[in-house]
Amino acid sequence: MPLDTSTYNLALLRVDGRRWNELRRINAQIRTQAAADGSSYLEMGHTKVMCVVTGPSEPGPRRGGVVGSAGGAGGGGGQSKDAEVVVNIVIAGFSSVDRKRRGRGDKRTLEMQSTVANALAASLHIHLFPHSQINVSLHVLSQDGSLLAALINAATLACVDAGIPMTDYVAACTAGSTSTYAANDESADPLLDMNHQEEQELPGLTVATMGDSDRVVALVCESRVQISRLEGMLVVGVDGCKQVREILDRVVREKGRRMIDEGTVEKGTGLNDMDVD
Amino acid sequence: MASPCATSAPEAALGVLPRSDGSAKYSHAGYTVTASVNGPIEAQRKDENPYEAFVDVIVRPAAGVGGTRERHLESILQSSLSHIILIKNFPRCLIQIVLQIEDTPENDYVNTKLVQASLNFAIMPALFQTAVLALLSAGVPMRATAAATAVAVVPQDGVKKTVVDPSPRDIEIAQSVHVLAFTSHGELLLAESEGDFTVKEWDGIYETAKKTCCHSTPAKDGMEMVLDEEASAGPDMRHFLRSTMESKVAADLYWK
Amino acid sequence: MPREVEPSLNEKQFVLQALQENLRLDGREIDQYRPLELTFGDQYGVADVTLGKTRVLAKASAEVTVPYTDRPLDGIFTIATELSPMTSPAFELNRPTETEVLLSRLLEKTVRRSNALDTESLCLIAGQKCWSVRVDVHVLSHDGNLIDAACFAVVAALRHFRKPDTSMEGGVLTVYTPAEREPVPLSWLHSPFCITWSFFGDQGEIALLDATWVEEQIRVASCTISLNRHGEICQIAKLGGTPVDAVALLQCSGVALTKAKEFSTYLDGKLAEDTKKRNKGGLLAELSAENDR
Repeated sequence: MPLDTSTYNLALLRVDGRRWNELRRINAQIRTQAAADGSSYLEMGHTKVMCVVTGPSEPGPRRGGVVGSAGGAGGGGGQSKDAEVVVNIVIAGFSSVDRKRRGRGDKRTLEMQSTVANALAASLHIHLFPHSQINVSLHVLSQDGSLLAALINAATLACVDAGIPMTDYVAACTAGSTSTYAANDESADPLLDMNHQEEQELPGLTVATMGDSDRVVALVCESRVQISRLEGMLVVGVDGCKQVREILDRVVREKGRRMIDEGTVEKGTGLNDMDVD
Repeated sequence: MASPCATSAPEAALGVLPRSDGSAKYSHAGYTVTASVNGPIEAQRKDENPYEAFVDVIVRPAAGVGGTRERHLESILQSSLSHIILIKNFPRCLIQIVLQIEDTPENDYVNTKLVQASLNFAIMPALFQTAVLALLSAGVPMRATAAATAVAVVPQDGVKKTVVDPSPRDIEIAQSVHVLAFTSHGELLLAESEGDFTVKEWDGIYETAKKTCCHSTPAKDGMEMVLDEEASAGPDMRHFLRSTMESKVAADLYWK
Repeated sequence: MPREVEPSLNEKQFVLQALQENLRLDGREIDQYRPLELTFGDQYGVADVTLGKTRVLAKASAEVTVPYTDRPLDGIFTIATELSPMTSPAFELNRPTETEVLLSRLLEKTVRRSNALDTESLCLIAGQKCWSVRVDVHVLSHDGNLIDAACFAVVAALRHFRKPDTSMEGGVLTVYTPAEREPVPLSWLHSPFCITWSFFGDQGEIALLDATWVEEQIRVASCTISLNRHGEICQIAKLGGTPVDAVALLQCSGVALTKAKEFSTYLDGKLAEDTKKRNKGGLLAELSAENDR
């Protein structure tokens, strides 16, 4: 079903009624699984992901390939001077409309695993945990665009919950452009946070930045687009990442405040600098 | 295109790949094969043999995925190469030979099925020679060098003709196809046959193949101008391997 | 399986310090490629690409088959990238490593998803018969920058490739052998090229093109940009790694465009040269239509 982009120019509203620079509603929780070292649940619009982090721990027996791991130079589990980040993504069959069966060897999933692992490894202080492994397992419950961004955000939150030292949040979001590559439309507006329908029809990219800096951890573009539009999309994307970071930060602080209120943690144990009001 | 090099002399180059222990590229009768040899290296647990080295041969077709035929060729090569490599010298080790087929003569009269690559005996000599050259280039100790040749018995105008290095067309109509390999000492190392043939025919094939592989006297006497391109093209395979090595060594030591 | 040899600490520091002084071990400029060489085989659709010591062989082939049921109007186009132990003993057959998965995904996105090959033109009878075009990528030697070399080889092999001619008469499909009719080129829409930047330093502030194997082992991040000479980006992949300033990435994409144009010109030249060599009689008119776009 082609997306009707003609109405955009009239009302400057997108198919779901957002304006060009609006994110979808992001709803996130941390510490959702009591048994895990770190866990999170994140919704970006209708994209819903769950993340569980185990570790840093002793590396278990190695199975199959090493796709989706980062860190440990050479990847020789347990022999490296850095901790190895191993990401495993499970996409539930019911997560999208077409109920496509994806095997374990699906290259798209493997690529996403590797991207999330390498993006996290950039922020986590993996050099503090030699000979160990950080296991990140991500479950996709519902897909509606910006999947990679949601995965990165959820993984970041779960790592914060697990208490693994990290430089800053790795926040991600997508950006697109209002007309397809075929239309040589220079005035095309950039769009922030694309949903599934927009992703199918319009060129877009996923950006992940380190904290609120302009430094790009991951940049993935999978569609054909004129090089002149890259700048606009990247600017909007980086700006979106800053907004996402604020939201993630709020979630973490809110949880921290509640935990103090409930008496789970004492105020002042490692939360000195936290502004609790 | 009819393969233009079908009648030309064999060509070989050693050390063509910079990152493997030894490598060789060989082309003859329309076949081009590149081989790399790594070894002796650490063997995987399942391949480890406490008494001798494991010789791993991998044949990779130019297009499409390999199937049972490739596995068959691999096992033939593996067992015959294990006999000339001094495998007892390297217990618990692996000698890995990867043979990448680059070019095979095409049959212009048939549209081939490509996704399932199907190799046949005609490519064996090329694979064998490349493997031996690559092993020499890697400096893997060997008892002797060896050379292989393919011979087909093709019925032509009611007469059975022995063809050395048969073309794909010959293979198609051949009654039997044989691959024979001889060591540099003239010992028969490998004999594989396909199709029906008589013992008498086989004797003839054996003689022809031996002449191609290790003709003891230089082919100057001119009396054996059999219908084989090898003899007319010059020295036999054993001399070819030797001269290839000699020129490589000379090139490497030019500064001396 | 044996692991790759890692560069020693001294080696790492030497390379890094040299890079900080704008020097590379092989004396190249930071945005300079190693000499790129392309040779076509005797057959159609064989491209042998050498980039320094990296060598990739791509072979295109085609056969008639049944299209997928969910895409009855499209032909089948696959790119097979299996890294054999020939590349390095660290690679095993039937066990894809991360390098292999990423390479195959990049080629897939660059060449297949960007519609470089018009798959609809491969359809012969809707829902029943179509061409299945397959490119096999063989990495003979890996000395860094596999992605750029492999992508170039795939594009070159496909543009050089000729598939057997066919005709439809009264619902009967005839596929002609090369002896009956001269094979025809594929319907090719645009030629994308991969350009890979490697980043070095704590902040990823040093960027260079066409990293060698040693440089690749030391780099902190990489970004592969695929584009054609019309300035259309087909794919960007900076899959994690040390963060790099957004402005620097934009500059990289600009340089990548000029490199892609250079590749494009080089490939066009090579193809024209090869066509001239093969031209027999009145074939030229048929073959020259290929480069229009």
